[in-house]
Amino acid sequence: MESKNRTVSLTLPAEAEYIDLVRLTLYGISSKMGFSYEDIEDMKVAVSEACNNVVVHAYEPGQGGKMEVHFEEVEGGIKIIVQDQGLSFDHVTKVGSADSLHNKSLDEVSSGGLGLYLMQALMDHVEVKGDHGTVVILTKLVSKSEEMV
Amino acid sequence: MVQENKFRMEKQITDDDNIISLIGELDLSKASEFNTNVDPFVQDVGRKLILNLKELTYIDSTGIGVILTIIKTRHALKAPFAVENIPPKVQKLFDLTGLTPFLSAVANTVN
Repeated sequence: MESKNRTVSLTLPAEAEYIDLVRLTLYGISSKMGFSYEDIEDMKVAVSEACNNVVVHAYEPGQGGKMEVHFEEVEGGIKIIVQDQGLSFDHVTKVGSADSLHNKSLDEVSSGGLGLYLMQALMDHVEVKGDHGTVVILTKLVSKSEEMV
Repeated sequence: MVQENKFRMEKQITDDDNIISLIGELDLSKASEFNTNVDPFVQDVGRKLILNLKELTYIDSTGIGVILTIIKTRHALKAPFAVENIPPKVQKLFDLTGLTPFLSAVANTVN
């Protein structure tokens, strides 16, 4: 987690109004790195979903709290770490609940689990861990054909 | 940029339709506002409800969740509902999450 180099970090209030700042920062960094428009849009959604989880689940209502987002340039791509110091959720259960609306009837579907599902669908790799607070690590690789020269 | 992407809704009411245009970024911070403001139109069974997404620049799972709730409610009310002018990047998320078949179903079953 410790930034060796080439890491940009944001510390924000864990409130929904600040998530657009994370998207703006992500846009700046990932376009500098040569990600395509489509990849950047994918990452915007995935990273926002990770932030949504912090805002909704990490802290007791009214308690306040921080979320940290680290953008780390790694070989071939970017690693985005979203973490909080709140209530760690049951990762195994939570990750297992990631689900889409596919192959279900209208009576069965709910939007629960969609956020994690989207993270997994839109990123190359997703890891959720943490004992004191939750850490979500999202990795996206720059597609070879889109790489800047 | 933050300001120009600020979420807002425009309403156009005709004899037959309630047309609601969603503009800007619909994320967690705006989902409940959207839900509250759209609800009177969701309950209006006398007109077809149309969501126009032409100028929607961003949506996340919470916005998709509100649209899913609208589909369920309109279906239960047997009232027509359609989503129009879906930008490609929004369509991609509707396809990925599996929302798309429900949009088609609710648009086709009643009219």
